[in-house]
Amino acid sequence: MKETYGVKLPGLALHDLVGKLIVIEGTDGVGRSTQMHLLKEWLEQQGRAVLDTGLSRSGLVGKSIRRAKEGHTLGRLTLTLFYATDFADRLENEIVPALRAGFVVLTDRYIYSLMARAMVRGLDPAWVRNIHRFALKPDAVFYLRIGVDDLIPRAVFMRGFDYWESGMDLYSTEDMYESFGKYQGALLQQFDRLAEEFNFDVIDARPEPKVIFEQLREGILRVLVRPEPAAAPALAIVPPAAPSVASGLAGEASGEGAAPASRRAPEVVAKAEELREPRAKI
Amino acid sequence: MKRYGEHRIPGRLFVVEGIDGSGKSTQLTLLHQWLKAEGYGVVFSEWNSSPVVKDTTKRGKKKQLLTPATFSLIHATDFADRTERNIIPLLKAGAVVLCDRYIYTAFARDVSRGMDPGWIRELYAFAVKPTVAFYFRVPLEVAMKRISDARNGFKFYEAGMDLGLSPDPDESFRLFQGRILEEYEKMVPEFALTVIDATLPIEVQQQQMRQLVLSKLIQARQLRVAP
Repeated sequence: MKETYGVKLPGLALHDLVGKLIVIEGTDGVGRSTQMHLLKEWLEQQGRAVLDTGLSRSGLVGKSIRRAKEGHTLGRLTLTLFYATDFADRLENEIVPALRAGFVVLTDRYIYSLMARAMVRGLDPAWVRNIHRFALKPDAVFYLRIGVDDLIPRAVFMRGFDYWESGMDLYSTEDMYESFGKYQGALLQQFDRLAEEFNFDVIDARPEPKVIFEQLREGILRVLVRPEPAAAPALAIVPPAAPSVASGLAGEASGEGAAPASRRAPEVVAKAEELREPRAKI
Repeated sequence: MKRYGEHRIPGRLFVVEGIDGSGKSTQLTLLHQWLKAEGYGVVFSEWNSSPVVKDTTKRGKKKQLLTPATFSLIHATDFADRTERNIIPLLKAGAVVLCDRYIYTAFARDVSRGMDPGWIRELYAFAVKPTVAFYFRVPLEVAMKRISDARNGFKFYEAGMDLGLSPDPDESFRLFQGRILEEYEKMVPEFALTVIDATLPIEVQQQQMRQLVLSKLIQARQLRVAP
């Protein structure tokens, strides 16, 4: 069964969320959107319904955040809470309903990016963690990791320097290049800490997109064959020879759809549960 | 990040709290007039008034897009913006700041909507602790009578209609305000709220307020004088 990081929202039932929540994390310009696009296409080819979502895309406040950021008028507390509101709206109105309907929810960034940004801006880590405690624990977090030295050329030659991605609200400098390096470096430090605390799957984001995509695919397949224990009925149809989790994985990789969670034998469920790594608490 | 009670700033912050119909806004207006006449640099900061956030809140309420969680968070966002850009700078400058509703309103409402009491208190931990927080205590029936005389009909969220307590707005309002009242009572000892008996004559309540406010202003080292 899905659970939150400790705070339950009123009226938000979690017992019937049969879908999978998969997070792609990483700093600005690391190639997350490219991967999101490839993954969605691939999952749909596999016959999986996919919801893709990302920061500041909520119907409630998405537009307001983007507008406020254009004017560079947001303080660090306000920015953090604005994003938390956006996240809550998407959690309740997009993510949870999609998980209930059995979708694979792919999200471009999650609370970890929000926490990293807030902490780089000097906000109290305990306060920042508390705010996000209503978030669902994802089934997996893939962290596309890159060093600042590899990130800078991408910014220079592909994207240009953005005001917020350079942390210009943080440092009193006119020099966007200098500020970018400093800010992204600080963000990466926070990410590395979070990666350990929340047990991210770390993926080296330096190779070309195809290589990264392969690794993500493999990782996601592992998640997809992991059944939801709550969904396993008492009267499960036992497959001819109860497959190990590994062979289930192989089947999926060769193009066969994984058996839905409801058709898995209880002992397989138990085994898969053991493999599931414990997640840190906020 | 400074937490509640950790700010050391020269200004003074007075806030009023209470359910709708308790008369708190009337009392704050009278206090405001008096402070101005006395020559203090005094500024009013209203609940729900941040220029970057308030349109979103308004739209969310009008279209009924808000859940207890987003209701809570959007108000916290508004409050954060006012704290960062308004309340703290003003207090640093030595102003007297008056707030009609403060974090205790959020605690009372959001907990009544089912939000976690510990979570919501920590959410607002960045708030400046008021010099005095006045709580206008009034029985539910008295407040209801004052409101029904002055208004026709309640708004959706104001009456707690999102909670499905009753299909009748009047009844829903009564039930919701009843819950809020209970939350306020719990907060009186928790946050050392200064209780004013809101059934007393208006002048008597105002006199009590001014007396306490004055004693806090005398202690202040440097307060801004109105231009």
